[in-house]
Amino acid sequence: MTGDRYSRQARFWGIGAEGQARLAAGRVLVVGCGALGSSVIDLLARAGVGHLVVVDRDFVELSNLQRQLLYDEADAAAGTPKAVAAAAAVGRINAGVEVEAVVADVTPTNVEALVARADVVVDGTDNLETRYLLNDACVKAGIPWVYGGAVGSTGMSMTILPGETACFRCLFATPQPAGTMETCESAGVLASIVVTVAAMQWTEAVKLLVGDREHLNHGITAFDVWTNDHLQAEGVPRRPDCPCCGERRFEYLDARVTSRTASLCGRDAVQVSPGRAVRLDLGALARKLAGTGSVTSNDYLLRSVVDGHEMTVFADGRAIIKGTHDLAVARSLYARYVGT
Amino acid sequence: MATGSEVPRKVSVQLTIKLFAGFQRGRFAIETRAFPGSPTVGEIVDALAIPRPEVGVMMVNGRNVEFDDRPAEGSVLAIFPVIGGG
Repeated sequence: MTGDRYSRQARFWGIGAEGQARLAAGRVLVVGCGALGSSVIDLLARAGVGHLVVVDRDFVELSNLQRQLLYDEADAAAGTPKAVAAAAAVGRINAGVEVEAVVADVTPTNVEALVARADVVVDGTDNLETRYLLNDACVKAGIPWVYGGAVGSTGMSMTILPGETACFRCLFATPQPAGTMETCESAGVLASIVVTVAAMQWTEAVKLLVGDREHLNHGITAFDVWTNDHLQAEGVPRRPDCPCCGERRFEYLDARVTSRTASLCGRDAVQVSPGRAVRLDLGALARKLAGTGSVTSNDYLLRSVVDGHEMTVFADGRAIIKGTHDLAVARSLYARYVGT
Repeated sequence: MATGSEVPRKVSVQLTIKLFAGFQRGRFAIETRAFPGSPTVGEIVDALAIPRPEVGVMMVNGRNVEFDDRPAEGSVLAIFPVIGGG
């Protein structure tokens, strides 16, 4: 059947034929299909993990290609949503993998339903707010997730087993002061640190799927690939007063109202959300905007330049407006041209 | 009072500090230096002019530590910001 395909992996003592069968039955949710996400998705597909759900709110751009290994110039030229491009790439890599692309923001409204379908969740996000939300949803549902982060030449990873290990909020109790955290735009990022962290995340996800809890990484692993450091820290304590895993108050999950406007971390762009579930008729919107200038669209999104700003509108009603950090400017453009 | 029985107070500890990501900017990646007295990790972070709220993870010799831990002579202290990119 799959014959030789997974032979080298199944021959490895930690996996075996039984482990390979568990991978085929495994369900992984990858939240964020950027640099970490696309590397992890690539490896999961090659490993024969049977069911993948890949979620991302953004589209492929040329500046992604240096480190986001699933995408190519055609994806960037077409501005394909990352989740769709990732799913298409999975189809080319391994037709035996069932993959579902979700083009959406992960919010308190949809995160629980997404997480509930997974055996393991892998973090491919690029911001802390989504990680706190993911942590809430995973701890509440008792589903393991694997944190990963990378910036510059530094990266780290930690596996969170709800009820057993420290959770993300035990480790990072309070959100960072706004604007202090380095982003991949401000500090740059090397492809090699992303791939290093993604490889750690993949390995932890595979251990979880095959059921080898003994060898899970019960600490934090950090790398700096430029200054040649590899550190492993044990003894990350669970905090008894942790609002999330200690007191089971899921503050990020319970904040049912998501911000309607968000400056996108590390990008000169603002995302405006309709704040409720909508389904836009992109064709109708394209006709409406045709008078304002050139409009391009595909099945998933529409792009136009309005008042000097590139505006990308998704079928779920979100818009990403480039060339501004000003939330009011973005909201005003959205109201004028999309107006949901 | 007999002074001879007193344990001499250590005047400083020699520590190797490793900084990561943005903490290196304007500082260093790795440096070994003496800190007066027996400072806590928090006091070392303050001495390096790193705002405490920006600190993500701190490790001493392979252990995760808190601001009130006191690294022993010869320890390696690694200080990371929260790594949020991906």
